[in-house]
This record gives sequence, C-alpha cells and structure tokens, in this order.
Amino acid sequence: MSLALHGLQRLLRTFAILLIVAVGSTVLVRYAPGYLSDAREMDARYAGTVRTELAAEAERSQALGPLLASQIRGWMHGDFGVSRQYGVPVLELIEPRLANTGILLLQAIGLAWLLAGSTALLSSARKRPSLLWQIPATLLLAIPTAAMATLCLLANSGGPLLVLTLLLAARDFKLLDRILRKTWRDPHLLHARAQGLGPLAMLRAHVIPSIASDLRTLATLSIVTGLSALVPVEVIFSVPGLGQLAWNAALNRDLPILLAITMIMAVCVTFAGMLSEGEAEWKAV
Amino acid sequence: MTAKRMAAWFLLALIVAAAIVLVLPGHSYSQQDREAPLAGASAQHPAGTDALGRDRLVRVSAAMLLSLAGSVIASAITTAAAAGIGTLAAFSPAGVGSVAMLLCDAFLALPWLFLLMMVRSALPLTTSPLHSAAITFLVLAALGWPACARAVYRGAQDLRRAEWMLQARATGLRRRQVLRSVVPNLMPLLLPQFLLCIPAFVMAEANLGALGLGIGEPLPSWGGMLLELDNSAMLLSTRWVYLPIALLILILLLLEAISAEPA
Repeated sequence: MSLALHGLQRLLRTFAILLIVAVGSTVLVRYAPGYLSDAREMDARYAGTVRTELAAEAERSQALGPLLASQIRGWMHGDFGVSRQYGVPVLELIEPRLANTGILLLQAIGLAWLLAGSTALLSSARKRPSLLWQIPATLLLAIPTAAMATLCLLANSGGPLLVLTLLLAARDFKLLDRILRKTWRDPHLLHARAQGLGPLAMLRAHVIPSIASDLRTLATLSIVTGLSALVPVEVIFSVPGLGQLAWNAALNRDLPILLAITMIMAVCVTFAGMLSEGEAEWKAV
Repeated sequence: MTAKRMAAWFLLALIVAAAIVLVLPGHSYSQQDREAPLAGASAQHPAGTDALGRDRLVRVSAAMLLSLAGSVIASAITTAAAAGIGTLAAFSPAGVGSVAMLLCDAFLALPWLFLLMMVRSALPLTTSPLHSAAITFLVLAALGWPACARAVYRGAQDLRRAEWMLQARATGLRRRQVLRSVVPNLMPLLLPQFLLCIPAFVMAEANLGALGLGIGEPLPSWGGMLLELDNSAMLLSTRWVYLPIALLILILLLLEAISAEPA
C-alpha cells in the first residue's frame, strides 16, 4: 500500500512540475518584450501581412487565463499550435525530427557509458587518480560544444555522434571515477579483497549493487547534458533534429515551436528523473 | 605553490594583460583598419585582423574581460539568490520548503540552452549590443540558481538540526538572529558554488554566441569570435583565427583548476 502511495505521490509531483513548466514558459513567452514582433517585419514584402497576423494574435492572447487554458488543453490533445514561420502545425514539424534526435541521443549515451564505464573502472583501480584519463576528460569538458563540433568539421573527422559521445563520456567519467574510487575503499570491499575475492566477482556482487542509485542519477544527468548539447551539434553538423529546429525557431522568433520543444524536453527530463529517483526511494520504503 | 594558486595567479596575469591591451591608445574593439581586412600578424596588429579589419588581439582581450566580468557578476547574483531561497526554504514551515524545492525541480527540468534560447529569442528586434550582453548574463543568473539552491537547502536543513542551533532557538534567539548566524556557516558551501558557476556561465555564453543568439555585434564575445571558424577564407589566410578558441579553453581550464575540490 505504501509502495503504491509513494508511486502516486511521485507521479503527482511530476505532473505538478510539468504544470509549473507549462505555465511558467507560457507566461514568460507571453510577457516577453519581443512576443509581438516577428523577423519578417523587416522585409517589406511580408511586413503588412505579418503585422495583421500579430495584431490578431495580440487580440487573441490578451487575457492570460484563457490563453493558458487553451494552450494546456491543446498540448494534452497533441496540438502544439501553428508555426509562425512555416504556417504549418508544429506537430508536423516535430514528428519527423523526433526520431533523428532520439536515435542520435540514445547512441551517444550508450557509447559514452561504455567508454566512461571502462575507463573509470581502469582509473579507479589505481590508488591515485591517473593523469592519463583525467587530463583528456578535463580538456574535453573545457571545450564548448559548438567549438568542438566546428573543429571536428574543419578537421573533416568525426561527426555529431563522436562530439556528443566525447562530451558525455568526459562528464560521466569524472563522476563515475569519483563514485567508484569511493566505493572500492568501502570497508566491506577491502575485507572482501583481503579474503581473495576476484575483481569481477566483487564488481558483480558488491560494487554495482551499491552504486546502482548513483548510476540511475547519472543516467538522468546524461540525458540533461545530451539534450543541452544537441542544439550546437545538430546546427553545426546540419542534422535535421529537434535541436536544429529549436535554433531555427529561436532565430526566427517562432515561439510556438520553441515552446513545444521546451515542453518535450521538460517531459523527457522529468520522467527520467522520476524513474531514477523513484526506484531508489521505493527500495527504501 | 599549489596548482589552484598558480592557476589564480596565471588568470590574474591574463586579465591584467588584457586590460593593458585595451587601455593602450588607439586600441578600440570596434575600430576598423579598412586597408587590412583578414590580415596576418604584423607590428600594427600582433594577432592579425578579422574580416572587417578589426584588431583580433584587442577584440579577444575585450571578449575575455566582458565574459569574465559578466560571468562573475551573474555567478554572484545566482549564488546570492540560491543562498536566500535555500536558507529561507529550510527555515520556513515544511510546506513552504516543499513548494520552493518544487519550483527548483521545475527549473531543473528544463535544459539550460533551450530556456536561454527561448528567452533570448523573445527579446525585441531592436535590442542594443550592450543590452544584449546585460540580458544574456542576467538570464544566466536567473536560470543558474536552482541547483545551487537545492545544495544550500540541504546544508541549511543540516544546520537547522544541529545541536548549537537547537540551543540557540531554545534560548529565544529571533528568526533574524538565527538566519544571521546561518549564512557564515553556509560559506564553505556557497564559495565552491560561486566558483563552479563562473566557468559554466562562460561556457554557456560561448555556446549561445556561437549559435548567433548571444551578445550582439560590434561588442566582442567568445561565441561571436568562434563564428569566425566557419569562414574558410579566414582559416586559409591566418592561423591567428584559432587564438580565441585557444584562449577560451585556457581560461576554462584555469577556472576549472581554481574551482576544483582538493583531492
């Protein structure tokens, strides 16, 4: 009973977070000083039409309450509004790009975990942090994603997957190395080692179970880091994904698209967070 | 001398050198030498010029100072906001604390860059370069506090349960007096948070600028200068075009060394 109650509580909290995000984003966009301006106003060919459209939008969105209600109702039914720059439903623009972004992100996270996990295991087995692994990880984290992607493009080697994987692997390695280093020094593991238990058996029976909750948190962090890095990577490598669409929308002030993508990102991060936190807490109940 | 101290001194030397470059007569970040666009290194322009004939060394120096000053101010604002919200949430009734942390979670649910892009794109078309710089760093400050506030909240909750605090409250200390004694005890938590935010903000500004959504021209910024790397004609004409990225990486490494936890 308490397990079900706890699950329900977590679900309610998740929906409350999403509601705050939805209301906050809509209010932020509606009251932003540039809400009722459009890049096409600069072009004499479109200026007249755009101003008429904006006047209609100003009329429609005058009262915040009805605007919020219609926005949230629309999102619940999969209606994200109409793109200002393309004049088509936002969902039509998002759907084909969702798969590209999802596949790229999942591949990058998978490869990064493999790379970070294996290097962290090797590094943490030593007494002191090894510079061989620490220096590349620190260096990779000091390069802005956009610069890393541009340099890869200039060197004509590597692509979006490599840049995303390296960035995520560097961050995951730093955290995993610290977690593993601390775990290997736990008294029960030192005792097990003294008893002659092999490293693989210790890893399987003791290390992984004791760092399981940290790994779940790390998985959520990987998703957040990956989502943030998507925009520069997709823009620079011309990947037709959500990041590129969001960037295009930001440059052209297409706020319905930006709002929809922000909500999708918030849903991904919140549910990932709920699963990682939830399981750890249910275990403790 | 520790690595941390060496990094701090090296960063200070870079800042002083950049300030000297900027105060030298005739060195303005927007001044154009129309006879020498895309020029290589010379006595007049030690790091060459950009496509508009502006001195690269002066622009890099100005970008560095602007980025560091903006990031330090933004980091101070964000740390102060996090300290205030985290402490008040921890010392308020449980309901208020829960709502404050729910708000933090809502902010944390949004990847930074998307939120930054949304805010930047919602600015008027007529925003001036100086305003765009101020807004960029203010937005960074406004979005950076939740993670820090969560850490402060946990720290303040531990303090609230500490024996000396129970005794202080039992002896009749007022809430204001209690809070006054809490903040100095949170300093070991706040200082690393402040230092950690600086490289994060420098990096965010560079990424945003490289996407064309950062500080507006003609003000120099890391992101704006990284855009030069897209210009193949410039890459062929001079290697000095890599100076901004090399310096940016060096500064981020120095900031990382300064904010690193002792091993």
